[in-house]
Amino acid sequence: MSRRQFLLDREYIKAGCKYWSDGRKAGTIQACAADFWLQNGERTMRKKARPHFPVLLIVGVLLAQDGFAETSAYGASVATSSPSLMQPEFNFMGFGDISYLSRDAGSSEGFAIGQAVAHLTASLDNSLRVFGEFSLTAKDNEFKAGVERFIVRYDFSDRFKLSGGRYHSPIGYWNSAFHHGAWLQTTISRPEMAKFGSKIIPIHFVGVLLEGSFPTSQLGLSYKAGFGNGRHENIAQPGDAGDINGDDAWMFQLNASPNRWFGLRTGIGYYSDTVSPSDRADIDEKTISAYVVWEKESPEFILEFMHSEHEFAANSSVSGDVDAWYVQFAYRLPGSKRQWKPYARYESTDVDDSDPLLGDQGLDYEAAIVGVRWDFSAYAALKAEYRNEEFDNGGKEDNFRVQVSFVLAKF
Amino acid sequence: MNAMTIHKSIARGGSTLATALVVSAYLVLPGTSALAQEVVRSSPIAIVVHKDTDVENLSLAELRNIFLANQQFWSNRKRIVLLVRAPKSEERDFVLNTIYEMDEAQFRQYWIAKMFRAEVPRGPKIVFSTNMMLELVIAIPGSISFVSADEVTDDVRVIRVDGKLPSDPDYPLK
Repeated sequence: MSRRQFLLDREYIKAGCKYWSDGRKAGTIQACAADFWLQNGERTMRKKARPHFPVLLIVGVLLAQDGFAETSAYGASVATSSPSLMQPEFNFMGFGDISYLSRDAGSSEGFAIGQAVAHLTASLDNSLRVFGEFSLTAKDNEFKAGVERFIVRYDFSDRFKLSGGRYHSPIGYWNSAFHHGAWLQTTISRPEMAKFGSKIIPIHFVGVLLEGSFPTSQLGLSYKAGFGNGRHENIAQPGDAGDINGDDAWMFQLNASPNRWFGLRTGIGYYSDTVSPSDRADIDEKTISAYVVWEKESPEFILEFMHSEHEFAANSSVSGDVDAWYVQFAYRLPGSKRQWKPYARYESTDVDDSDPLLGDQGLDYEAAIVGVRWDFSAYAALKAEYRNEEFDNGGKEDNFRVQVSFVLAKF
Repeated sequence: MNAMTIHKSIARGGSTLATALVVSAYLVLPGTSALAQEVVRSSPIAIVVHKDTDVENLSLAELRNIFLANQQFWSNRKRIVLLVRAPKSEERDFVLNTIYEMDEAQFRQYWIAKMFRAEVPRGPKIVFSTNMMLELVIAIPGSISFVSADEVTDDVRVIRVDGKLPSDPDYPLK
């Protein structure tokens, strides 16, 4: 063995691989590496007469380590020949949280396991991706399993990515930013307008989505345009088995992340559907949304607003509006206190009593929240939060929550 | 003291504690940067790409978009392959500070969030040495990475950043 190969081997062993680069151990990874070399190395070597075989073998093993010999940094292909040799790449992430709630009203308090979430991604070939998010949610005396997102996407380019499946609706910011990952969000819970099971906005959507970005533009523009099944007759759920009234929902969102202000993200969106609740006639729903976010943590700022209009499809004189918004501010402390991140949020939901869809649902709500997040581990956080809430019937409640949230991720 | 009173006390106590933390954070530490210290280097960082990549110059904003995976394709529609040094390398610290404007924890959370949002199926490939980095850039079409400028070889292409090469006096990555 040459000294050069020895050094490469040593570096690679340091990287955690159990296989030597000269193939002294046979196995699937080696086979993938050989495939990679056959498809890429030979051509490269003909042109440049370097790098030599062990290096290419290392390249192959590095790429094959994730189970997909042709996978790039983003799971992309670096070779397109011999598709029969490809093996899909699978990645897994998990999220979970455990909470304690103490309240001065009501009877539901104590410890609770939040959602246990599994997130799977797979690269089936150069451009075809599959994403899945599955959850187990604690109910009174059982866990309920659910498919939160399931997406098959083909990437044509940065500007055009076409997908189909079940999504979190691209309405506003929070709903498609943090999904079911409590660890990702600064606070313990989602804003009321975007909480899971909310009737304010359609949280999920089943259909097709065209999305893309223009990263070279000064404004950093991106868009999402979709259509598909709107709300189910249970309006907190999407029509998973088809649109119940044959009138598809459609939506469009335009986002900007200007190059000049790295960290700033803003967007506007529009959503339209005809809803067919089980207990009343069809209702037209139109929603506009807007948000401004400063994504850096010192400070972090999120302002999100949505306005919905509902009217009976057969009688537009019966109508009502919904306005919901929140503002959240957080600050990651500097230096040795970086594990700490205090935060505050104010949120409000105002529903017209005359609103034909939501007016009788008791959804008026206001809340002020202050809390602190402590990242005691690279992959786990402890959050403590005080919340003052006022409900539709004028009732008020103070409560105190503690949550441990974590992520299982190989990164 | 009954259970309700205890709960009210806990809620009030939590409120006071959280409020105190928030107030002290803003009063004591105004305007501090997210990154505690700047990484100073003796040799500038060169951005290197595979020789077949059809790019000569990138603005710092374009480079940031590539490193953030906001741009995942080159102009010829070939996939961009991002290679990043493993933690605790000087080059990585510099790039995180200068291009990503993040620390290690933020960098980790950024990529986990990116994957969770289904924007990328995985994070960047992690490479453990300069030699290995150069060999990989040589071997992988569409690849882009960063190395110390004094370790660059002729087998990779060094691209200009904001029109400047690492040897230029006002090169942005030094």
